[in-house]
Amino acid sequence: MAGTTQAPPFQFRGSFLLAARQFPRNRAATLGAVFLLLICLGAIFAPLIAPYDPIQIKLAMKLKPPSLEHLMGTDHFGRDIFSRMLYGGRTSLSVGLLVVGFAFALGVPLGLASGYFGGSVDNLLMRLVDAFLTFPPLLLAVALVGLLGPDIQNVMIALGLVQAPILARMVRGSTLAVREEVYVTAARALGATPTRIVLSHLLRNMISPIVVQLTVVFSAAVVAEASLSFLGFGTQPPNPSWGRDMSEARRFLNDAPWMFLSPTLMIALCVLSINFMGDGLRDALDPRSWRARRRVAGED
Amino acid sequence: MWTYLGRRLIQVPLVLLVVSLMTFLITRATPGDPVQIMLGMQTSPAAVAAMRAEFNLDKPLPVQYGLWIAKVATGDLGRSIRLNDRVTSLIGERLPVSLQLAAAGMIFALLLSIPLGVIAALRRNTWIDYLCTGYTVLGFAVPNFGLALILIYVFSIKLNWLPITGIGTEEAAAGGVWTYFSPFIIPAVALGTLQTAMLTRLLRSSMIDVLSQDYMRTARAKGLLPPTIVIVHALKNAMIPFITMAAVQFGYMIGIQVTIEYIFAVPGMGSAVLNAVVNRDFPVIQGFTLVIAIFFLMTNIAADMLYSLIDPRIRY
Amino acid sequence: MALLSVRNLRTRFATDRGTVRAVDGVSFDLAEGEILGLVGESGSGKSVTALSVMRLVPEPPGRIAADSLAFDGTEILALSEAEMREKRGASMAMIFQDPMRSLNPVLTIGRQLTEVLHRHQKIDGAAARKRAIELLEMVGIPMAEKRLAAYPHQFSGGMRQRVMIAIALSCNPRLLIADEATTALDVTIQAQIVELVKQLTHERGTSVIWISHDLGVVAGLCDRVNVMYAGRVVETSPIRDLFKHPRHGYTLGLMGSTPRVDGMQHRLTPIEGLPPNLTEPQTLCPFLPRCRVSVEACRQRPPEARSFGPDHTAVCLADLGT
Repeated sequence: MAGTTQAPPFQFRGSFLLAARQFPRNRAATLGAVFLLLICLGAIFAPLIAPYDPIQIKLAMKLKPPSLEHLMGTDHFGRDIFSRMLYGGRTSLSVGLLVVGFAFALGVPLGLASGYFGGSVDNLLMRLVDAFLTFPPLLLAVALVGLLGPDIQNVMIALGLVQAPILARMVRGSTLAVREEVYVTAARALGATPTRIVLSHLLRNMISPIVVQLTVVFSAAVVAEASLSFLGFGTQPPNPSWGRDMSEARRFLNDAPWMFLSPTLMIALCVLSINFMGDGLRDALDPRSWRARRRVAGED
Repeated sequence: MWTYLGRRLIQVPLVLLVVSLMTFLITRATPGDPVQIMLGMQTSPAAVAAMRAEFNLDKPLPVQYGLWIAKVATGDLGRSIRLNDRVTSLIGERLPVSLQLAAAGMIFALLLSIPLGVIAALRRNTWIDYLCTGYTVLGFAVPNFGLALILIYVFSIKLNWLPITGIGTEEAAAGGVWTYFSPFIIPAVALGTLQTAMLTRLLRSSMIDVLSQDYMRTARAKGLLPPTIVIVHALKNAMIPFITMAAVQFGYMIGIQVTIEYIFAVPGMGSAVLNAVVNRDFPVIQGFTLVIAIFFLMTNIAADMLYSLIDPRIRY
Repeated sequence: MALLSVRNLRTRFATDRGTVRAVDGVSFDLAEGEILGLVGESGSGKSVTALSVMRLVPEPPGRIAADSLAFDGTEILALSEAEMREKRGASMAMIFQDPMRSLNPVLTIGRQLTEVLHRHQKIDGAAARKRAIELLEMVGIPMAEKRLAAYPHQFSGGMRQRVMIAIALSCNPRLLIADEATTALDVTIQAQIVELVKQLTHERGTSVIWISHDLGVVAGLCDRVNVMYAGRVVETSPIRDLFKHPRHGYTLGLMGSTPRVDGMQHRLTPIEGLPPNLTEPQTLCPFLPRCRVSVEACRQRPPEARSFGPDHTAVCLADLGT
């Protein structure tokens, strides 16, 4: 759509504090960050918080609706759903984080190299990326995990491989834009090496879009892990997983709707908080929107 | 324009080559023998060997790939190891169903996103706008299979208004319009909600941009009536990025709808690939991904061409 | 009776920095067939005045108020939006600064012409096409018939502005407002457009409000001029008189900063300083901080309108007798 100019350079020390102060102004973003923190804490301290053992079967308690003893009810094996949600969060969030790391480690250098060096390097890498992107991401992940085996590591590798090209594309685009900016030419004129230019100048300017894209990667990874588990390719029973539990809940839709509602809610909350936080981060990291916040509706 | 089209089309075989090579390598490089899976553990080694030879699995990898490419060039995608059928006829059965599902999802998305996007833009920053954007946020947050389960619970189980099985079956085709189309409704809504969210956001943002343009002021200065101004002057401009994104999204649908096909037992491309992966049915995996990739590339090219058709400023 | 009669027009905008008084008490008359120039720098309120007359100011955040805003005897501010829509494009029309951005890029020129004909004169089909071709020929566009199917980006800047003029004059309006209509054009094209407007409006007896910051163009076209500053009219005069005897500090400054092709070439003297903050009410003369000819009285009391001859008024306390 409308072209946007590059955000001005983002210096770490001073700007970082300013950005940190901007963030709380966006209420949705703070809410998102708080929720995410809660989910994270729940996941990390699951062994302490969870009232029950998530995989212990207690057939006598099966399919009980939510109550004071079982906040989210029990499933068809009598297992406490709330505890399963907490433990399931561990899987989802760790997959999310690792996929983000993997996509970053793979995609960013690729995009930078492609954008900075251009020419045949760019061509080759982008053809590869194009081929990857032609695969519907979910099917690619299914294929990879299905063939490599339903192991959590394979899930992460598969999802990382799927997300990295998208990130690479985006980074390449930003690099191409930033590369032409005057301060890069100035740096080169002063004799800066390519490494220095890339690291100090290019990367700094792309912090904002990269961070925002990483939040998108994170939420996409959480949903993808849930989808894979739902299809039977991710976490294997009896280990708790939001997606897997939803699949099991299909047989009990009528009798125990809380079985599918709880994990759906967890996923939705997770994605929502990450997205709101991402929006807030984007606004906080772009100096142009700092002043814009003071203007009232009428300018967008 | 035709030269541009030609240039784009020439790149297609190249990308397809890379895609098929990647698929080939992934399937061959991972553990699991399709023949073993098919025949089971009890069969004699001789039978196993015979079947392997039949499917060229005993030859070196480059040869296998070469043979497959040669066959594809003649339009033959091989035979399924698992199901006793030609891959091309399997595709012939499954592709139409997938396309119908994708189309249903897309139609739902378009029917909802266009009015929502326009209204949200016209009533910007009012409660109507917040309602519309709130809906899109939910569309992003709830995964499609989660939404499917919710819809099944409410509309099929509790209210019993809509069926959940019977897409693409022969009984449905014979039973009349409602019997044929009603099984599509819930899956279409579940599938299309994410697209609705993205497209509504896009249209809203695009309309807001357009409404602030100078030519809108000219339209008002001419004393034109509001519907003319919104639809003819504003929407026509705002639809340009919208239509191209919708076209690209349609290309993606077939890949995304795997979970929906799984829940509703739809005999489509996605579920076929799913089963093929479990059974290591190489010819099916390779053939189907090739077709899906072709479809995706074609819709992308079509989207670009569409762009030049609707925006008079762009002429290739 | 004047075609347009404006009394104490006040147009304000609500912003979170306060209320901006874009037009702060503007009064003037426009006679039938008269060409009135509105001159001033950016932010002087000339465009907003014009938009207020056509009620094209978005309300909110704007608000138009006036003691009287009478067009052809009718109080504009008392009309409903639907009634206003009948007038716009039909009895009052406007052309804008940048014709590339003012024409819809995805509609053909023909469509943008015929839709006005259809809307106000109920002509469509072949009759509308015919009229559209006549209009294009009237503004000097060659091969008019072929041009109907063309899009704005296929025209040059001057031709686009001609099209805008054709659209504006298509329903024979009583009033044409031109807001910086030639500013975005080449100097040679400017002259052509000005001539075209002069000729067409003279033929039809259309009244014109010509908005510009370019005194040169105004000099060649207008009968009278209103000089605006900070949302007010600070001087109004027949054109010759203005150049011979400017009576306001701002007008004087404008003259001094305008290059002249006749006579002596002396240094251009720009007007120092910045325009005032329109959110703060001004009790004294708003031009005072930048004025080179201010007198002691200017710092003590607000300026009054003084008459310097038939139709020549200036709101200034200084005596610029020349």
